[in-house]
Amino acid sequence: MTKGMNFKIINVWYLSSFIISIIVLIPILTVFSSFFEDTTNYFEVLRETFFLEYIFNSITLLLGVLFLTFILGVGSAYIVSFYEFPGSNFFKWALILSFAIPPYIYAYSLFAFFENYGTAFTILKFLFGDGEYNKHIPKFSGMFGLILSLSFSLFAYVYILARSSFLYQSQNLIELGKNLGFSKFKSFYSIILPAARPAIVAGLSLVAMETLAEFGAVDFFSINTLTTGIYNAWIAFDDLAFANRISFFLLLFIFILFLTENLSRKKAKFHLETKGGFKKREKIKLQGSKSIFAVIFCTLLFFLSFIFPLSQMLYWTIKFPENLFDLNIIDLLMNTLYLVSLSSLVLISFALLSNYGNRVSNKKILNILSTLSISGYAIPGVILAIAFITFVAWFDENFIKVMGFLSIKKVFIGSVLGLVIVYFVRFYSLAFNGIKSGYEKMNIAVDESAYLLGYSKTKTFFNIHIPYLRNSLLFVVILISLEIIRELPITLILRPFNFETFATTAYISASEDLLEAAAVPALFLILIATFFILLTSKYILRERDE
Amino acid sequence: MNNNFFEIKNVDFSVGGKTKVRNVSFVIEKEGDIICLLGPSGIGKTTILRSIAGLEKIGNGSIELNGKIISSEKVNVEPEDRNISLAFQENSLFPHYTIEKNILLGTERNKGKKDQKISFKEIIELLNISQILNKYPHQISAGEAQRASLARSLITQPDLLLLDEPLSNVDQSFKEEIQVRLKKILNTLKITTIIVTHDSYEAFYLGSKCGIILNKELKQFDDPYKVYHFPNSIEVVNFLNRGILIPAEVTSPKSLENEDLGTITGNFIKPFPIGSKVKLLIQPEDLQHDDKSNLQLEVVDRKFRGTNFIYTLKTLNHLLIPVFVHSHHIHQHEIDEKFGIKRPIHIDHIVCF
Repeated sequence: MTKGMNFKIINVWYLSSFIISIIVLIPILTVFSSFFEDTTNYFEVLRETFFLEYIFNSITLLLGVLFLTFILGVGSAYIVSFYEFPGSNFFKWALILSFAIPPYIYAYSLFAFFENYGTAFTILKFLFGDGEYNKHIPKFSGMFGLILSLSFSLFAYVYILARSSFLYQSQNLIELGKNLGFSKFKSFYSIILPAARPAIVAGLSLVAMETLAEFGAVDFFSINTLTTGIYNAWIAFDDLAFANRISFFLLLFIFILFLTENLSRKKAKFHLETKGGFKKREKIKLQGSKSIFAVIFCTLLFFLSFIFPLSQMLYWTIKFPENLFDLNIIDLLMNTLYLVSLSSLVLISFALLSNYGNRVSNKKILNILSTLSISGYAIPGVILAIAFITFVAWFDENFIKVMGFLSIKKVFIGSVLGLVIVYFVRFYSLAFNGIKSGYEKMNIAVDESAYLLGYSKTKTFFNIHIPYLRNSLLFVVILISLEIIRELPITLILRPFNFETFATTAYISASEDLLEAAAVPALFLILIATFFILLTSKYILRERDE
Repeated sequence: MNNNFFEIKNVDFSVGGKTKVRNVSFVIEKEGDIICLLGPSGIGKTTILRSIAGLEKIGNGSIELNGKIISSEKVNVEPEDRNISLAFQENSLFPHYTIEKNILLGTERNKGKKDQKISFKEIIELLNISQILNKYPHQISAGEAQRASLARSLITQPDLLLLDEPLSNVDQSFKEEIQVRLKKILNTLKITTIIVTHDSYEAFYLGSKCGIILNKELKQFDDPYKVYHFPNSIEVVNFLNRGILIPAEVTSPKSLENEDLGTITGNFIKPFPIGSKVKLLIQPEDLQHDDKSNLQLEVVDRKFRGTNFIYTLKTLNHLLIPVFVHSHHIHQHEIDEKFGIKRPIHIDHIVCF
């Protein structure tokens, strides 16, 4: 009567979780092992000249972006969560559209708008006739331009998390402030802000990781950071070991960031569990000058973060229509769809398997492995791609060739397979966590009821879980698609020869100083990303009573 | 081979390697019997049900159903192969199906069975859930969810039905009615049932046998009447919370002496040697009110329970003794007033420890 099946199933869970963890661990281990390898003398040169500059620039960039995203993200979240003003419902979701603009496209727009004889010049000329406008138009290049590009493109992380925290703040807490006679300002900084701290810090952590990982915009403005340093060490000096050595420092940096955030969070409990359900808070209706201020602030933010880069790309596309015909849009679209569907399939399959394994076996080791396997999202794409190449080369040299087989480099490097593997490492957390949060809403008693109704584990999985997780799966696919469409460094480094996406085409044109040509793929990228964001906005902005 | 319908032999019930209840043994002799397991929250009652259902494994002893071992150290029949139904205390309805579909899923197991003892319609009427059939689990109250879950379990017509606090979320006004209906249907369908509850009245009403689980052990397993009137340990007395233990000395095979109450006569459940110092259980029904009695005690509290009052009386030695009085009794006694106890005191069954 006893079934041996359970034993086998658990082994499958372990095996798949192990495989995922190992795939994720490979780049991390490669980076760490490279620390003990010899490099060319480039390292010596760099240590005495640029290395400090890399670190200094990375820190300056990080602090600047964190400061600006905090102001923009928390400010906008506060205004739309607590107040009602003309357009407040529109801005609630319009502000997340900035996700559709990758920092590098923002950087192209910013640079092009304010450059000599750029779009700003053209507008002024159109409005006021010929003139010496160039010297009056501010120039947004270098570090300042970079900080602006990243901030307008990334503030939505802080906005979304802060807003959801503001929405779910205990009504009692806010009423308590009123009861104590606090002014609105005092309520904000002594009650609302501290209670939302974990969410804000989580948002800022994401911003920090994206900033440190950013490649396209940083490269465009020619600022030397650790990330571009890694890329240059590989591409210009062909020194993989040194690239990995810089990666080590960058990872250390990220690790410290993580640790600080976690330690600071453990000290306090930030929210009260409210029993008896979520009480929808009435929003305060703004009037007069306050209302005008709110409208101006949100409009400006929406305009600067989304409309401005979109218009710039649209303007160029219309102005230079020949670029539209030079580009094989169908090919780019098919390539993107190919990558998206293949990666989604692999990611979802493994994430489902792993989540289901955790659910049915409930073993600690599986939980640990799962936690390990989602750590890839913290590692910049450049590091992942280069560490992957390093590992494949090392494995090929030391095992495959030694055993007398043909080289496997071509199978993994410059191939869709390699690309999908590295996407997998980078985006596995999206798939895993998306499915996990779907599963968390389903009581384990539901599974057990199914067993007791005579359902096998497989039947429970296909007849109960999959239909229930349908929305979560759809959400995960869209998130993955959004990430892959915008992704630049991994695709750039690992893509097969002549295999381009919208992102790589835009990058290549921009790096050849053909910004007008970069506009067409960038515009398509923005439009597709916007479409996906609109599809997911209901989930991203969900409120408990909806 | 024995003829018991269901039997648990020397089983330790554990969750995650932690033993919740030790060395449990009890039998359900015939099909259709209803057993109630009583105990405080968190004691392990649910673990017992989950283990019987096959959702938790057991390390020692055995569980047998219809003469076949379904759980032991070596055997573990999968939950889906046991035909045992468990109605969970928490919401276990499939969130993406309507209540109707949820309940109908329970019938899948019985497809092909000729003797459908109860129809979908009858169950819906029995549990009064016709108005929620088209709703989804998140749209109904906790009490309704519990009744829907109960309906799904009943319709499977299991060999053994396990109910985990089945009416804990049902409104008080509706609870007794449901209890009556539930008992009737279980008896009619002859569904053998184990019910876990912390409500002693529910257990005494529904169960033909009651098990009391305290301090990781099954302390007593007996008829409800015996569990109430003949508790076998001080722990059971304290758990049922329906009496007080007072010091007394055994003076003869049929009497004891207490300093405040005087001589108490009756039949000892368990004999004690004459001269033994014991603790005598006084339950509210044991003493009778008599205004003319010379044993007058001070009223320190009065609880109105609808059909009766429970007076708490203080003796000279500061013992607090509960006394039951019918609520239609001609007059009421206020706090601090005197309250007469009829003498000589005779208790039909004397419980001492």
